[in-house]
Amino acid sequence: MKITFPHLGNTHLAAKALFDGLGIECIIPPFSSNEALELGSKFSPEEMCLPYKIMMGNYLQSIEKGADTIIIVGSCGPCRFGEYCELQMNALKKIGHDLTFIVIDSPFDIGKEEFLDRLAKISGNSTKGKVEKIRALKVAYDVIELIEKIESKAHYLTGFEVNKGDFKKLLKECKSNAAKASTPSQMVNILKEYKNKIKEIPINKHKVPVKIAIIGEIYTIIEPFSNLYIEDKLMDYGVTTKRMLTPSWWVKDMALSCLKLNSIGIRIASKEYLPYYIGGHGRECIGEVLLAEKENFDGAIQIFPMGCMPEIVSKAILPAISNDKDFPIMTLVVDEMTGEAGYVTRIEAFVDMLERRKNDVLYGS
Amino acid sequence: MRVGIPKGLLYYKYYPFIERFLIELNVEVITSTDTNKNILNQGVKYCVDEACLPIKIFHGHIIDIKDKCDLLIIPRIMRTRAREFICPKFCGLPEMILYSIPNMPKVMIEPMYATNDKELYTWCKKLGEMITKDKSKIRDAFSKALEEQRNFKFGIKDEGFKKTIALVGHPYNLYDTFINMNIVKKLNKLGVGVITEECVEEEEIRAEAKTLFKRPFWTFATNAYGFTTSIAKNNELDGAIYISSFACGIDSVVLELINEKIEDFPFLVLKVDEHTGEGGLDTRIEAFIDMIERRKTNENNISAFGQHTSCS
Repeated sequence: MKITFPHLGNTHLAAKALFDGLGIECIIPPFSSNEALELGSKFSPEEMCLPYKIMMGNYLQSIEKGADTIIIVGSCGPCRFGEYCELQMNALKKIGHDLTFIVIDSPFDIGKEEFLDRLAKISGNSTKGKVEKIRALKVAYDVIELIEKIESKAHYLTGFEVNKGDFKKLLKECKSNAAKASTPSQMVNILKEYKNKIKEIPINKHKVPVKIAIIGEIYTIIEPFSNLYIEDKLMDYGVTTKRMLTPSWWVKDMALSCLKLNSIGIRIASKEYLPYYIGGHGRECIGEVLLAEKENFDGAIQIFPMGCMPEIVSKAILPAISNDKDFPIMTLVVDEMTGEAGYVTRIEAFVDMLERRKNDVLYGS
Repeated sequence: MRVGIPKGLLYYKYYPFIERFLIELNVEVITSTDTNKNILNQGVKYCVDEACLPIKIFHGHIIDIKDKCDLLIIPRIMRTRAREFICPKFCGLPEMILYSIPNMPKVMIEPMYATNDKELYTWCKKLGEMITKDKSKIRDAFSKALEEQRNFKFGIKDEGFKKTIALVGHPYNLYDTFINMNIVKKLNKLGVGVITEECVEEEEIRAEAKTLFKRPFWTFATNAYGFTTSIAKNNELDGAIYISSFACGIDSVVLELINEKIEDFPFLVLKVDEHTGEGGLDTRIEAFIDMIERRKTNENNISAFGQHTSCS
């Protein structure tokens, strides 16, 4: 069994640690690229949203490298993501790839037995003992938490850096070194090392950088290719960014949602404008904007794939928040046709506007 | 007191219920006018750009009615069957409207979980309490309204036509004659009868939906999928037309699933949006009907080149 999975930001590091720990061979698809997107779009329904198409590209490129099993998480609506597995299975079968799909759905929707059955399909291929399996899971979780901490710290501190590009360089180095690690424990050590290293980078605490919150649909804000590397771009401009939705946030959110203890802060914040869950992460989007405003951020950028149903609802609400709180919010819609130049122009203009608003323009007077 | 009901989205499916309920409570019921060009234009003006046509039209209906009533009902229908949804936009519909349209009257935006009578009553109670304090009156009105809804015959089932096709899609696309440019009349004029999903037993629809790997979690997706695949399997009808709004997330999935299953059963997808031109629609319907005819009579479904022809 050669397992593969779609890319989602840094999860490939955690997945590698997990499967290495379990002793299962896994194939990490090449990083999402235009090639993957083009390949994926070719075999996707036209009106499908962008994440689906990139994922298809990931699968097809992994299959070329020999993968025969695909792992994907599921959901039961109301967002389209829950239907991905069925369509992708059909599409891959149609082009002649005989693959096993393992869909990790919530046990509440498919029943506990089916859920355990599906998990057994993965762990059954592992020769390791029970204790080792659990340890592998723990290490994988450590990996994702560490890399997220490093990443969010780098994104936040970029605005304060003394030597331009320090944080970006370190982050890049960290990711590529971690990917090269031969064992899971080595990967954890590398990450820990970088976690310390990031503290040594000189920063100027007296700087007042532009601060932007990245909000919107979870896949398009986490997977850097799908948002045309917006976080890297903002790092180049010396802008501090913050993004609350991360893979580990998602795991915690899913685990705690059955107890209704998930993301309480976001829930309380969003109550004023959107008191119900509407699917996807529409409510989180609203909550994050309001939190960012409270934390004295200068603005927010919402990103979602064209046609994303929950985010359309939040997009309708954002202008009202922007007006009420005097808080600039820009929406960027991405799909396979997004042109980089137009996209960059909009980001630059937005950052310029925030800078002026902050420094020398007497806005509102 | 005047209570306004916008004539959009699921109004077409539940109007006997809501109208009877309000009439029983002795209030004046005001509905917006039938969808027209002006309503569409107003909707497009106020609604968020990315939304689909029915949502935009719903915004137009709100504009049309908001100054004429004291209480406006904006339904937030979370689900009509257990563990199923309608669409994320339905769950956030009141917010979309309240934050895009200024000067709104008093609104009723409580969530409605219409999975059974008890849940539905919770919603009706909240609405009733905004109008009257008499609890028994609310209960009475509720049971009368429920009866009215149950006795009401929905669906189109034309008889006596040489050809019959199935009309598939979300109810608001099928029953709003402005959105679909009166497609039923157009088809009847071409000598084609129409039937809709209400004419197929619900069990049959459910059984079809069960064959899927993943339980479909949208009510309209289940209906559309089950209906189309079951008529394709039985092969009694001549074809199916699916009316879908542009950029509908649910349809992007369902259409793919249907196409996968029905093989060469004649199937036409009509996309509608705020720019749809009537001429193009006519041409497509006519071509589709011509094709069905030929498939039936002249070509006997075998092409001169020895290849299988398909109308889908």
